[in-house]
Amino acid sequence: MIIMKEENKRKMWQMPWGYPESIAITAGIVFVGFMLQITIKGFNFYLLTAPVNLVVGALIIGLCLLTLALKKSKFLSWFTGVPFSVCIISALLVLTLIMGLTPQTASGSANTNDNFFALLGFNNMTGSWPFILIYFTTLLSLGSLIVRRLAKFKIKDWGFYLNHIGLWLVLFAGGLGHADMERYIMHVREGEVEWRVYDDEGTVKELPIAIQLNDFDMEEYPPKLTIIDRTTGEPQPLSAPDYYQINTKAPTGKLDGWVLEMNEYIHQAVRNSDSTYRAAPMPGATPAAYITMTNPSTGEVRKGWVCGGNQAQLYKTLELSEQHTVVMTVTEPKRFMSDIEVYTPDGTTKSAILEVNHPLRIGGWTIYQYGYDNAAGRLSSYSSMELVYDPWIVPVYIGFIMIALGAVAMIVRGHSPNRKTLLTDNKQEK
Amino acid sequence: MNWDTFIWFALPAMILWASAGIVVYRKKSKVLADILMIAGISIYTLFIIGFWINIERPPLRTMGETRLWYSFFLSVVGYVTYCRWKYPWLLSFSALVASVFICINLFKPEIHSKNLMPALQSIWFIPHVTSYILSYAMFGAATVGAFVQLRKINRKGLSDKKIFDLLDNLVYVGFGFLVLGMLMGCVWAKEAWGHYWTWDPKETWAFVTSMGYLAYIHLRLQGEKREKVALWLLPVALILLLITWIGVNYLPSAQGSIHVY
Repeated sequence: MIIMKEENKRKMWQMPWGYPESIAITAGIVFVGFMLQITIKGFNFYLLTAPVNLVVGALIIGLCLLTLALKKSKFLSWFTGVPFSVCIISALLVLTLIMGLTPQTASGSANTNDNFFALLGFNNMTGSWPFILIYFTTLLSLGSLIVRRLAKFKIKDWGFYLNHIGLWLVLFAGGLGHADMERYIMHVREGEVEWRVYDDEGTVKELPIAIQLNDFDMEEYPPKLTIIDRTTGEPQPLSAPDYYQINTKAPTGKLDGWVLEMNEYIHQAVRNSDSTYRAAPMPGATPAAYITMTNPSTGEVRKGWVCGGNQAQLYKTLELSEQHTVVMTVTEPKRFMSDIEVYTPDGTTKSAILEVNHPLRIGGWTIYQYGYDNAAGRLSSYSSMELVYDPWIVPVYIGFIMIALGAVAMIVRGHSPNRKTLLTDNKQEK
Repeated sequence: MNWDTFIWFALPAMILWASAGIVVYRKKSKVLADILMIAGISIYTLFIIGFWINIERPPLRTMGETRLWYSFFLSVVGYVTYCRWKYPWLLSFSALVASVFICINLFKPEIHSKNLMPALQSIWFIPHVTSYILSYAMFGAATVGAFVQLRKINRKGLSDKKIFDLLDNLVYVGFGFLVLGMLMGCVWAKEAWGHYWTWDPKETWAFVTSMGYLAYIHLRLQGEKREKVALWLLPVALILLLITWIGVNYLPSAQGSIHVY
């Protein structure tokens, strides 16, 4: 209560600054950002491509270190203090909230300048001046705070250091490094070598890295069976369609009043004759099931093969009546993988089985399984891969590890220890 | 052990958890609560081990199987966090949510067989979701506490230090889990989609939510100042959290999000 009164006596802009000044300055930064946005349009992040980002980064670090020379500056103790940090965080909150409510478009896309939101850069928030200015303010404020706190290093502040240094590293390397990141899509046909890639605008580029696709393969989940209306194709019953998930360990099910028994299931089958299937593990194979359908109320029994088909084979259904028939659903991919060999200019080659969630790292590049010919599924004759070059990933991951340890500290220790040290520090500063 | 025998393990586990969640409020039976909770977890673990051996692969293939793990980790991490912080409602809550996931598996058996798409087949999937659920639990409780505190301030003109201690702890622990969940999502995204952060609508909203709680944490560093602002921030942040969790799918800005399954 005493502090509140002191604050009331203090005039605006009279040191030490508190919330009123912090709010005014943060609002001012955002306002300047909007003015810049309206007059000179969005910030082109790719201006920061190396070596520009290295220079800017060095400048930021230099400015943060400079604060060591001005330990007693009242301006700096405000600039690194709690009220200003709350205001920057709030500004980030509001800007990203707008971003979350406005559909985002890719940077530099034309004919969006006619509406007011686009004029203010809402539809490309991370490339808009208010966001950029707040981002750099955060880097400077947080960086200076870290430098000041490290200058009077206390081992018991480890939670503070982990969280704040980790976050600063992620913001610094993730933001400034963004311009150096390259992402391309490469489509490679089976048996061929490819080095041409497409960027996100569809422009072709040649990379100093070549990929040979030896084989593309896909594993599929066993499909489901259901009864459909032969005229509308709707699964039955309409209100809540029944599906039987094929499972050789649970070969019975119920579909729209019929009892289903699966007598035989072949995951990779080809049609043997007009009405039979046999197992054949070849590219054009498709799942097929021999089933017996019994209607308990009428005693009717139907038996036969059901198959979902693919580009190489026709589907096969089991008719129950003039209106209804049993069908197999299209298979869902379980995993898809590319057997590849990668060549780099220095002569290194690496071979790997690429699949989703299991990328390959080679010479600064990371290669991801991206896609395939969806219409052909297993029969796809090509595989699409994404190539990502991100030279700033190491500091970002160091930051991640530090923040994760800091988060564990927060879970285990709660709020008390941190707060006490910070409050005593503030008193010393005053 | 398979889904047909699941109920013979799930039911005793749920009964034990529920009993633990009830007796924990009686001061004299804290030890009993521990025993009941551990017994429930043990029975549940036994099923997972047996199920794993029976199907001859880790149970991570279908939605039903991932739900098995949510219940497991919620009960275990919830119990461990309860042991650290001694909030009885925490034990009840994690027991309740763990039971909800069990019930979904029991009553909606067709969901067991909903197959996981390749991108979801990652070791990060389950810890990512579990960590978020735990943080949501903490933040939900903190919001209730914030209203209790606001009422106290309005009636007596003074805040209760004990409630603020509780609120700050809840937010710190919740924020810790939130950050862990977010980081695990980042690492997973890097492995699966090529980048750790792409401002996907769900990511944008997760960022907005975390800024809300980060603002609370920093506001509270100067404890005696702006108490009401800090307290009102908690329900506001919870609304942001709910939009992140449930609302994003309905926003026009979220068309094409990778988080819609």
